This record gives sequence, C-alpha cells and structure tokens, in this order.
Amino acid sequence: MSEILKCIINDEEIEACVDPEMRLVDFIRERMHLTGTKIGCKKGECGACTIIMDGNAVNSCLLPVMRAEGTVIQTIEGVEKDGRLHVIQEEFINKGAIQCGFCTPGMIMSSKALLDKNPSPTTDEVKEALGGNICRCTGYKKIEEAVMSAAKRLREEA
Amino acid sequence: MEKYVGKDIPRNDGYDKATGRGLFTHDIFLPHMLYAKVLRSPYAHARVVSIDTSEAEKMKGVRAVCTFENTTSKLFNTSATMVTTNPGAEPVRDQTVFTGEPKYIGDEIAAVAADTEKIAEEAVKKIKVEYEELPYVLDPLEAIKEDAPDVQPELSHKKNICGEVIEINFGDVNKGFEDAEVVVDAFVKLPRVKQAQMETHAAVASYKSDGTLEVYSTTQTPHPTKMIIAYTFDLPESKVHVKNPPYVGGGFGVRIGISGKAEMIATALTMRAKRPVKFVYTRAEDFLYSDTRHGGYLKGRLGAKKDGTFVALDTTAWLNTGAYATFGVELLGVCGACGTAGTYHVPNLHYSGYPVYTNQETAGAFRGFGTPQGTFIVETLVDAMAKKLDMDPIELRKMNTMRETDDNWFPFSLGSIGVNECLDKAAAEIGWKEKRGKCKEGKIRRGVGIACGTHVSNAAPFCVDYNAVTLRIEQDGSMVVQSGIPEIGPGSTTALLQVTADEMGIDFDKITMQFGDTKAGPFDIGSHATRTLYTVSQVIDKAAKKLKADIFDYTAELMKMDREGMYMEGGEIISGDKKVALKDLAYEAHLRGKQFIESDSMVPPNSLPWYAQAAEVEVDMETGMVKVLKVAAAHDVGKAVNPRLAEGQIEGGVIQGVGYACREEMTYVDGKGFYNSGFHNYMLPTADDVPEVVSILVESKDPKGIYGIKGIGEVGVCPTAPAIVSAVEDATGIRFHEIPMTPGRVLKSIKEKEKENA
Repeated sequence: MSEILKCIINDEEIEACVDPEMRLVDFIRERMHLTGTKIGCKKGECGACTIIMDGNAVNSCLLPVMRAEGTVIQTIEGVEKDGRLHVIQEEFINKGAIQCGFCTPGMIMSSKALLDKNPSPTTDEVKEALGGNICRCTGYKKIEEAVMSAAKRLREEA
Repeated sequence: MEKYVGKDIPRNDGYDKATGRGLFTHDIFLPHMLYAKVLRSPYAHARVVSIDTSEAEKMKGVRAVCTFENTTSKLFNTSATMVTTNPGAEPVRDQTVFTGEPKYIGDEIAAVAADTEKIAEEAVKKIKVEYEELPYVLDPLEAIKEDAPDVQPELSHKKNICGEVIEINFGDVNKGFEDAEVVVDAFVKLPRVKQAQMETHAAVASYKSDGTLEVYSTTQTPHPTKMIIAYTFDLPESKVHVKNPPYVGGGFGVRIGISGKAEMIATALTMRAKRPVKFVYTRAEDFLYSDTRHGGYLKGRLGAKKDGTFVALDTTAWLNTGAYATFGVELLGVCGACGTAGTYHVPNLHYSGYPVYTNQETAGAFRGFGTPQGTFIVETLVDAMAKKLDMDPIELRKMNTMRETDDNWFPFSLGSIGVNECLDKAAAEIGWKEKRGKCKEGKIRRGVGIACGTHVSNAAPFCVDYNAVTLRIEQDGSMVVQSGIPEIGPGSTTALLQVTADEMGIDFDKITMQFGDTKAGPFDIGSHATRTLYTVSQVIDKAAKKLKADIFDYTAELMKMDREGMYMEGGEIISGDKKVALKDLAYEAHLRGKQFIESDSMVPPNSLPWYAQAAEVEVDMETGMVKVLKVAAAHDVGKAVNPRLAEGQIEGGVIQGVGYACREEMTYVDGKGFYNSGFHNYMLPTADDVPEVVSILVESKDPKGIYGIKGIGEVGVCPTAPAIVSAVEDATGIRFHEIPMTPGRVLKSIKEKEKENA
C-alpha cells in the first residue's frame, strides 16, 4: 500500500509515493537523504529528530509520514541560506555549544522555533524550549548561552 | 610565545555539526545494504536445548541468519583490554559473538540480516528456541559466596571473580591502624548508571570479494577494534579497515573496543550474506544490553592522628561486572589506584578490588573508570573523620592531600599538584565560609559540601598505551596530521591542531587532520583514559621536532640560509634577516623530488589531573527532593589549550555527576532484567533542571605534558556525587551511604532520623 505525499521541505515542493506506515523521520533521512535529522530514541523522548513543521518544533520520529501532508517543513539542512550560516548556528559554534554533535541539529531546530516566535526569550523560556532535547555532552550551559547570544544578535540585526 | 595554545579557537568540526552535514555511523547507507536484528535470551542464565531457524530463513528478503551454531565460537573480549593488557598478564577472553549458554537477559543467541529492518525483526520472531533455565546470581556480594551459581566457572580464578583480585599495598596498614588515634569506618552502595551517549551503538560492515572487511563504527578506538575483529574472525589485520564516519555521537567509555557487539554481529552477517550489513542498536538495546558503569559495594576504614594527619587507609571494593568481564579487572585497578589511593598522602595503604561476575548486563568503562567509585568511599571517610575530629573538611583535606615530595605508590613521578588550589577556589566560589555548618531548620534546607581527587592522563604504565602520527607538508606548504585517534566529542582534533600549529609555526587554518580511521594513521590506542589531547600532543611534538629539523636542513642548503637559529613562524622559515615562505620552499622541494614527511610513535608518560568540586543543595524535608543549586568545579588541567573546550568537558562531566548523585539508576527486576529501557524511565538531567555550573581552570603546568597539559576528559564527573552527598549532609544532618538520593530514599532517611531523635 502506498500513498502520495505532498509537502514543502526546505523551500522545495516534494511529491513522493510513500508507505503510510513509515515514520516521518525515516522519510526525511532515507528517502530525502537529509541525514542531519538524527534518531536518538525513536520514541519522542530525546529531541534528536526535531524539525520545524508549520512553525512548530516537532519530533519527526513520532509522526506517521502522512502527517506531513500539506505542511511546510524545515530540517537542519534548510537553516543555512545561500551558503551563510544562520546566527543560531554561528553562535552554537562560537560559544562551544557543540561537542559530539549528535543532538546539535535537534537543538538548533528547537532553538530556531523558539526564536522565530519569541525574539526576546528569558533564560527560563530557553530552558523550557530545550527541555525536550537531551544532550549528554555539554551539560547545557553553553547551549543556553548560544541561544541567548543568538537572540541578542538577531534582535540587533533585525 | 603561543599563538594558538590557550585560545578559544572555535572547533574545526563546528560547521559540519551545526549544519547536519557531518556524518555519523547511523547516517551510512551503502548500496545493496541489509539491516540486522538480534535474537536475545529472555533468561538470566540458560542453556539452549534446540534452535530452529528454518522458518526465518524461508522468509522473503532474509539474506543471512547467524547463530552460535554457524558462527565462530572463538572467545574474545569486547573491551580494548583484550589487546592492551601488559606483557606477562593474560587478558580475559570470555565472550563469543553468539552463545548457546546465555548468561544474562539479553545475551545474543542469533541475528538476521534482511532487506529491511521490518523483515529482519519479523524473521527474528520466527526463530524457535527451546531453553533450559539454569541457576543465576545477581548481586556481587551473593556471587562470591561459595554456594552461589557459577557465571564463568572456567575463567574464574576465585569464586565468580574475573581475572584477579586487585591488591594495592603501601607501607604497613595494620601497623598504621595501631598508630592511629582516631578511626572511622564506612560502607557504601553505588548504583549502575548508563552512559546514555546520544548515538546508539552502530556498525555498517561490508565484506568484499577481495577478502577485505570495511567497518563503519561508533567505536572510540578504531585500531584496537580492528584487532579484536581480525582476531575473532581470523582475518589479517591488514584486511580489516575500521573507521568512524568521521563523527561519533558520544561515548563516555561505553565503546572502548567494540560498540556493544555491533561490529561483531554486523561482521558475522556480512561475511555470510556477502552484502553490507547495518546494525543499529535501538535505544532500549543500548540501555539494556551494553556496558554500564560498575555498581556495587565499597568498604573503608581511615585512621588518623588527633591533629588530623592520616596514617592508615584500608578499602575494599566489590563491583558488579555482569556476565562478561569487559573492563572489570582494569577498572577495579583504577578504582584502587586513583580513586582510593591517589588523592591523599597516607603512609599505610591497602586496597582489595573484586571484579565480580553476575548474571546481569555487563558493566564496563564509563567516564572516570573506577575513580568515581573509589573517590566516593574515600571522601565519605574523610568527611566522617572531619566530623569526628571537629575539623573543617577543607582544612583536613588540605593537610593530607598528596605533595610532590611525598612517598607514594604511583609508578611514575607525580608532576605538578594543584589540588589545594582547586579546594580553595571551589570553596570560595560556593561561599564555604559563610554557608557551611550553619544552623538548618524548616521545610527547605540548604547546605554546601566538597570533594576532591585525582585520576590519570592515559593508561600507561598500567596497560599498553602508545600511539603514532604521521605529519606531512603538502606541496603548497599546508600540513596534514594523520592519526588513528577518533573525535568523539571533546574537540580533540581542534585542540591538537592548536598544539601542532604552535609547535610548527604554521597557521591553524592551514592544517588538516585525518582521524578516526585505521587507514588515517598508524596504531593509536584510541580516545579514552583522559588521554587524547595529552598523549597525541606528545607524539605530535616528537614528530614535529624531526619534521622541522628536516625542513630547516633542506632550507639551509637550498636557500643558502644559516641553519643556526632557524625557526618557523606564521608559515615562514626565518634565519637572521633572511626568510622564505614554507609555501614556496615546499614547492621548490617538490620540483626536486622531495616531500617533508615524518612519522613517530611513543609510549607517553603520565600526569595526574587534580580537582575539587563544591556543591550547594536545597533539600525539601517534606518531599525528600534534593535540588542541586550550584556546582563550583575547580580543575587542575595543567594548561588549558582551549579554555572553552576544557570548560565544556567539565560542565558535561559535572552534570553527569549530578545525575549520578540524585536520580540516575539502573533498576533490576528479577525475571525481567533491567527496567530502564529508555529516556522515559531513566531520568537524565535536562536543560530545564540542571544547576548552575561554574568551571574554574587551574593551570599548574605539568612538567611532563607538552605546554604543561594534563588530561581533562573524564575528571568532571569524578567528585560531583560525593560533593553533593556532603552538601546534603550539611543541609539535613544525614549522611547518605547509598546513591542516587531519590526523594524516596531521602524521605525514608529523614523519617528514620526523626524516629531516632524522638
């Protein structure tokens, strides 16, 4: 059994024939070859698979692929524009918020979903927005610093 | 003057990782690739009476079924110790790829490779196995009793002891206690905790028609992993190629050697199917069927003079290594050597370490490697001694910590010791003087505590530890560093190039490193034991000196420059008032058939990284909730090559220590196995509940490290739990001898204390 999925991924219109039992994360990684979105648990518990769907950070591992029908999706590969890193990406690098890098794409997507909606978050709001993204390397401190610093830069550049 | 060492250079893999372009083993998809799933034992100990794979083999899309019957039964050890045990000692080899006598719930019986994961999963269910259940034992203190069931009878020298009982003797401990005027005792129980690195174990193995085997792997040690695979499958090491893709999603010790058994199972299947096979552990498999930190019991007695001078210390550890040894023997060694015997100058020491087999999931290496366990018992004793002597715990520590001139049992010179500076700085940051020992009343009570200790900067001389690099100047004067060392997260490849750039006088951005690959460089023991930056910088330094000498000799002759006083800076070779760009020289050399290449290898010295952490906690006396408010972590790193990266190591380690102290615990359910199958039932610290962490870098400039460097990777986690336990005692008057301090345990103790006082 298969169905036709239509959606927008990283500004491109996608039309694909899919097995509806497939999870969205598998479609993204194995069919779209966008392996930046990671799988840490496949149970919605770690946030490594976070993407932005219609403006919200979601765990793509929990979603059946057809839930993407008609949506606008951004994955980590779509954050860099015209060869220029997004400010959040730059701050993750500059502030030492990256270690092994496996949680990083999910962390950046959760951060971006937050800052897209709330350009002036408090530290508590950042902590809350990242509460579903597990990082075992950094202890989170430098990730929070990176997000706060990115927010400040984005406000200044706006 | 260092241009790069000491600077916060952004890590050189940041772009790859921030854009999602960097590849991990999970991201490898090869043409014609199959997917593996494993059949595991539902029993803690059993014998397979019969196994029938015919229904599985008949399924469409199933390409190979491997079992203990058709796969090599050669004994190996998943840990790198299999190939790094010192000459004269015999490594423990006690595992097979699959087994007909499973020894823990989850032991591998068979595996299937199929066109899709789903087919493989279905096929595994169709394998029919008949088991005969056998007696089992789960607790290390039960397992060493004479009437306990045997876990590995052929391989145990004493009852259920893997390898040997580790003994450390220094001075005369009995005489020491005779001289002691004050004695304290303690007994502690520590949990198993899980590394929970974000990328689960994985391997993609591809056995090729020319007889070579290529393995993409999550290992922290490509070369030792290559050796273990080659040995087990009877392949020449030259035909086994192990590589990280190039990134590894964390490790914290869990894959020093084989990643769970991912590489072994993928290799067995690819050799049968003759197609690439990918095996990725589910999160549940990673939690339940691969090494944890060793849990168990430690007992200790500390004797001192009335003025606080320590005179005798006797400790014993019984740690649960599970059904297979992995690192059991070596870890009990480090627990004694660094954890119990390393921190203080005690003239009379004794330690016994029992690595105990049980019918549980294996325990192996996890950041700290025995030091957190040893530190826990010793710091418990030291706090008890301070209480008994009515001394300030920091003053008692400072008068007894190791000094450079002290006699000690370490088989190498101590080097620089910054521990008292760490104690002072951590205490000042937490507000020790104002907060410690103040009257505590009411529902919410605050307290502060402290703990200190040391570790190692590599495994030498306790285990085989050496590495090699090749340095090469390209024809345009840029440089390539080739090493088998992996990058598992700390930023080693960045810090190492900072050292290389300064050593050579070449700009950082002109140097590239090949790493994490057995073909990238000659033998390297891998990323573990807090060794990567410390040891690889040493061998780079050694090779760089030779490389520069070669370049200078050549320059002097070709360019008619004075060899005396020649040096390189900013990519220019300078002598007197003459200079030539390395870029030009390298090309001129190329035109004359010459490239500058040097290789070298060495056994590193060892240095002691010291640390002290002070914690402040808040305890809710009604709910039993312990909230860690702040940890001040002072670490003697010798020299911080990249302070921001060094802080990152400390902060990550501290938060793992906070979890260890307060809530992380693998819970075993008899008949079912460990309960903690995922992040929903193994509570890791998250962004919204971590305490404030202040890292303090103490630079004591070690005489043996290049630029004074010591190790940093593991030590962040080592003293955190005892510091928090000490703070909880300060807040509540209750000393916890068991962690984690979950609300249930805390509340129970509060009620017991209320009864005592009533």
